[in-house]
Amino acid sequence: MKTIKVMLNVNNEKVTLQVKPYETLLETLRERLSLTGAKESCSLGSCGACTVLVNGTPMRSCLILTPEVEGASITTIEGLKNGEKLHPLQQAFMEKGAVQCGFCTSGMILTAKALLDRNKKPEKRDIVKTMSSNICRCTGYKKIIEAVEETSKK
Amino acid sequence: MDENLKIVGKRVIRSDSYAKVTGGALYTADLKLPGMLYAKVLRSPYPHAKILNIDVSKALKVPGVKAAISGFDAYGVKWGVFRYTQDHAMLPTDKVRYIGEDVAAVAAVDEESAIEALSLIKVEYEPLEAVFDPVEAMKDTAPQIHEQYKNNINIHIHIEVGDVDKAMAKAYIVREDTFKAKGEAYAMMEPYAVVASYANGYLDLWMPNAGPHVRAKALSNLLKLPLNRVRVRHINSGGAFGGRSEVAPGDLVASLLSIKSGRPVKLVLTREENAMCSRQVHDIIATVKTGMKKDGTIVAKEYKTIYDGGAYSSTGPIATSIPYYVYEECYRLPNVRYDGYRVFTNKGIRGMYGCHGRAFLAGNEAQMDLMAKELGLDPVEVRLKNGLTAGELTATKSKIISCGLKDTIIQAAEKSDFKKKWKKHTRNKGIGMGCVAIMCGFPMGFRSGSSCYVKINDDGQVTLITGMVDNGQGNESLAVQVASEVLGIPMDDINLVNADTEVTNLDPGSYSQAAAYVGANAVKAACEDARKKIIAIASKKLGVPEEEIDLKDRVAYSVKTPDKRMPISWITREAFFKGEPIVGTGSFFPDIDLEREWVSKPEGQMAGTYSFGTSVAEIEIDEETGKIKVPKFIAAHDCGRPINPMAVEGQMEGSVGQAGIATIFEGNMWYKGFLLNPDLLEYKVPLACDMPDIETIIVSSNDPKGPFGAKEGGLTIRMNAYSAIACAFTNATGMLFEELPLTPDNVLKLLEKNKGGKR
Amino acid sequence: MILPKFDYKKARTIEEALELYNKHDGNAFYLAGGTDLVPLIKLRLLQPKVIIDLKGIDGLKDIKKINNSLVVGPNITLFELKQNPFIKDYFPCLFESLEATSCKTLQMRGTIGGNILQNTRCLQYNKSLEWRTARGFCLKMGGKVCNVVPNSKSCFSNYCGDNAPSLMTIDAKAKLVSAKGERTVRLEKLFSEDGRSPFTIKPGEILKEIIIPLKKTKGAYEKLTVRGSIDYPLVGVAVTVKKDAAVVAVTGIGPSPHLYEIKEINEKSINEVADWAYEDARPVLNAVLTPLYRKKMVPVLIKRAFKRIGAGGGR
Repeated sequence: MKTIKVMLNVNNEKVTLQVKPYETLLETLRERLSLTGAKESCSLGSCGACTVLVNGTPMRSCLILTPEVEGASITTIEGLKNGEKLHPLQQAFMEKGAVQCGFCTSGMILTAKALLDRNKKPEKRDIVKTMSSNICRCTGYKKIIEAVEETSKK
Repeated sequence: MDENLKIVGKRVIRSDSYAKVTGGALYTADLKLPGMLYAKVLRSPYPHAKILNIDVSKALKVPGVKAAISGFDAYGVKWGVFRYTQDHAMLPTDKVRYIGEDVAAVAAVDEESAIEALSLIKVEYEPLEAVFDPVEAMKDTAPQIHEQYKNNINIHIHIEVGDVDKAMAKAYIVREDTFKAKGEAYAMMEPYAVVASYANGYLDLWMPNAGPHVRAKALSNLLKLPLNRVRVRHINSGGAFGGRSEVAPGDLVASLLSIKSGRPVKLVLTREENAMCSRQVHDIIATVKTGMKKDGTIVAKEYKTIYDGGAYSSTGPIATSIPYYVYEECYRLPNVRYDGYRVFTNKGIRGMYGCHGRAFLAGNEAQMDLMAKELGLDPVEVRLKNGLTAGELTATKSKIISCGLKDTIIQAAEKSDFKKKWKKHTRNKGIGMGCVAIMCGFPMGFRSGSSCYVKINDDGQVTLITGMVDNGQGNESLAVQVASEVLGIPMDDINLVNADTEVTNLDPGSYSQAAAYVGANAVKAACEDARKKIIAIASKKLGVPEEEIDLKDRVAYSVKTPDKRMPISWITREAFFKGEPIVGTGSFFPDIDLEREWVSKPEGQMAGTYSFGTSVAEIEIDEETGKIKVPKFIAAHDCGRPINPMAVEGQMEGSVGQAGIATIFEGNMWYKGFLLNPDLLEYKVPLACDMPDIETIIVSSNDPKGPFGAKEGGLTIRMNAYSAIACAFTNATGMLFEELPLTPDNVLKLLEKNKGGKR
Repeated sequence: MILPKFDYKKARTIEEALELYNKHDGNAFYLAGGTDLVPLIKLRLLQPKVIIDLKGIDGLKDIKKINNSLVVGPNITLFELKQNPFIKDYFPCLFESLEATSCKTLQMRGTIGGNILQNTRCLQYNKSLEWRTARGFCLKMGGKVCNVVPNSKSCFSNYCGDNAPSLMTIDAKAKLVSAKGERTVRLEKLFSEDGRSPFTIKPGEILKEIIIPLKKTKGAYEKLTVRGSIDYPLVGVAVTVKKDAAVVAVTGIGPSPHLYEIKEINEKSINEVADWAYEDARPVLNAVLTPLYRKKMVPVLIKRAFKRIGAGGGR
């Protein structure tokens, strides 16, 4: 089957790729670009472990065909740091102990980033609701919510 | 030293978290090796069938396919944790025993070719009658799943202490109830994955595991390779909760494919495969009979507990015993008869679970509340009355070394205003309390202990080498923090090499709650050994006695005259000059009775020490829909001295979800041998919006043998959170639960029964 | 989990989309947000030759007030639609069902068109090819039996859309377009009541507009789930009140929503509809809570919705 040429801006870097028409964005990121921070957990859109930002919006990359996002800006967890400086959410997740096994972490942080980019001072309710898009099996969510709250107060 | 701790007991940032928040932490599925192939497994479509023939020849003809295997390519070895439970070939050649069992596999240059090749493997089966219910399976008429286990009884544990019948006869009140619970899914976020790379006669493996050394040993047996040829390497693990403790069929599959093809092979299970074909949790039916004196003292317990064991033995006797043990380690049980049966059914393979035993434990606790109420006692009083204290022996003669049970009960009760709320609860609102104890490590023969090496490098930085493994709970950071404390060097200066069987020494793994107590103790001992050497050199160089020297902030200094000081890096170099570089070794072996055996001799010291915990849940039941809400949850935990309180809290909070909210959400659903909810949509892992307001209370005690007084952290809540919910349900409704989970349909049925009943 | 092979085409116009569809002999599927479609393809429940992406079509993403109607483009995401001031002001029932749909992240990807046209679900249907092959194909997969109700000749899969029922209660219509031209139907007419093929939409037809009469209403959406987010409704009840009358739609049980009208709201008429809906509901063991329970919840949720709206006196 013919491949499709796709241009993306991934973590502020322009890339041009030849992808399979039936290739998911998650596959492209993990297999072609070695950006393995986005995780494949349920692969059906139920868990959020593969969440990345597409033009700033959080999306399940396991449900998106790469050709669909031609021309888009993609942010993965690997692109969140500013040089050596961690994004405040990354810092807060570490400091608050919001990370255990780490498998949901990139999806959680990116989901939270999109929220704070939309709304700098969300109420706790909004934070809980937004973060209820993603599954974490380790933490009981308390420290994740605290980390997002803490960041929003800065 | 314990009194002036520099870093132990502090809320430190976990050493593994930087890699995890930046996406740099690698998990098995992230690995890519040169020439790597992708594996896919052909699975049994039958719950029970004879294998007549397996033909993989056509699969091999698919372009890109480099190897195809079945059990006929394996070595005829069966796995079992114990000699008497070796029944699991991992790739069967005689018959399949559950839907989804691994039958054959291929490795190809890409996943698409592998999938195509699978469809060309021909397997001839002769379907056999299957059995899915453990009670049915025990009947004489049931199909035999394994020849050697009559009536499909895999394990029968019989424990008899005192004179149960006499005590029951004399008891003031006696009550017997039966409780059921559906098995849960581990639902770790990482689906199972293995990378196997066989080259030059050595097999390297990466997979999420809870004990690299036991995993390597199992594979060396299955592959008939000498142990030094099987190397389980370090990799991050996306959650385990007991489900990554044992060797997995995928390990054998990937290994055989790599050996056949001479290339690295990666196998990644789908979410559905992870649920159906990696380990599952036991469904349980527990009959609990309790005799109490008029004052609420438990005088006798009689148990019959049936564990739906699935198709193979797994941790058989351990799984059949643990729910009972964690209960007898918590309460004084003068007379006990425990009969635990683990029964084979044609369902997926099962294993231990962090929350294992909820029907049994929640049943015991809820029943105790009802009985106590009849005697005019509240849950707090009856627990304090029957709870064990330090120095006492459990029913099977295990000594309680340190015990903060009473403190956890009192503090959780005070914080929640328990007594008042329990007494004056309004209709369909309730509060409940659950207690439990957890053994820190248990007998695993010579593998019960851990060893550690430490070397001080030329700039004074440290490499720590330990077999301890981290499945996400923070064991790696724990080891680094302990080393930092002993050596007076910041955590950032300590590099960790762990869970790699080539370089690390034996360790029991993280599934017997041994990491903090056993593993960290070995780290402490090794670092103390190195510390002594550092101090000896410092003493000479500074001209002060050794006892006067402490290590702090990378410096050795005199406590009396602090300006007498020198950097540890200088001391290290001095040691190199002398040709005696500073290295330390240390090990720890818990004080346990190694004669103790799960089936043949269930008596003697079970563990080095025990942790304790009390959970309190408040619930509200919607009378019309049966939906339970849990607005508030308080968890109190005696974990000895917490090494990193933030990490301990994290374990406790996670437990409130996985065991607590699971009580109202989680359970595997079956249609015969088909798992109906093997996904993350219909299997209900709680979400952020489902969580209660959680308060954690760490009851700091000081275990005499724990590293800096530490014991296991968090598991007690994982094994009593469901009891708190079940007891709150009893408080709210006056009834006992019949089956977990308490989903709305289940609750409504009970409420309707209650209305129609005698009350 | 990798996808099976198919081609991907992005249409710029509706005409182009229709042409692409015809060129592939109907072995094509239209793609909007993909949150329903992609999992179905991953599980090999659909095996398309080509996927036609409709997101590049101008005009399918607009919300316009035309005369006395709100005309909603099907490609507008649930999240965007929720933000539209008309929705909250005029159609609280729809606002609540949008708010209750799945989770926030999926609301940002899922479209209203895709949400309406989502396939029906069953515990024994939404599974991998391996699972379903071992179990044997059911009616909905082209087999001869229902795996949930063995002797049944009809399919009991559940329509789990949250928003179609709300839209029905506010008299929404769907404008469909095909090579033959356009047609406009009431939303309820989109449902075939056959779980095997739950929509009356013809092969190749594209949902072009959702047209809602702009009249202020009162309303509520009650949704029963186990969890507070992500889950599909096990039962959902949409109620819209217009003056003295009301419309009730029940979703989540069986292949299409059920619609009920109340001419004059009072306690008696609400109870009658609740009883009627209870009788109508025929849940089977194909979702995570028991059928009898789900049936019982139908009247409970209907009464709750009315109570929350403050109509009919309540308790």
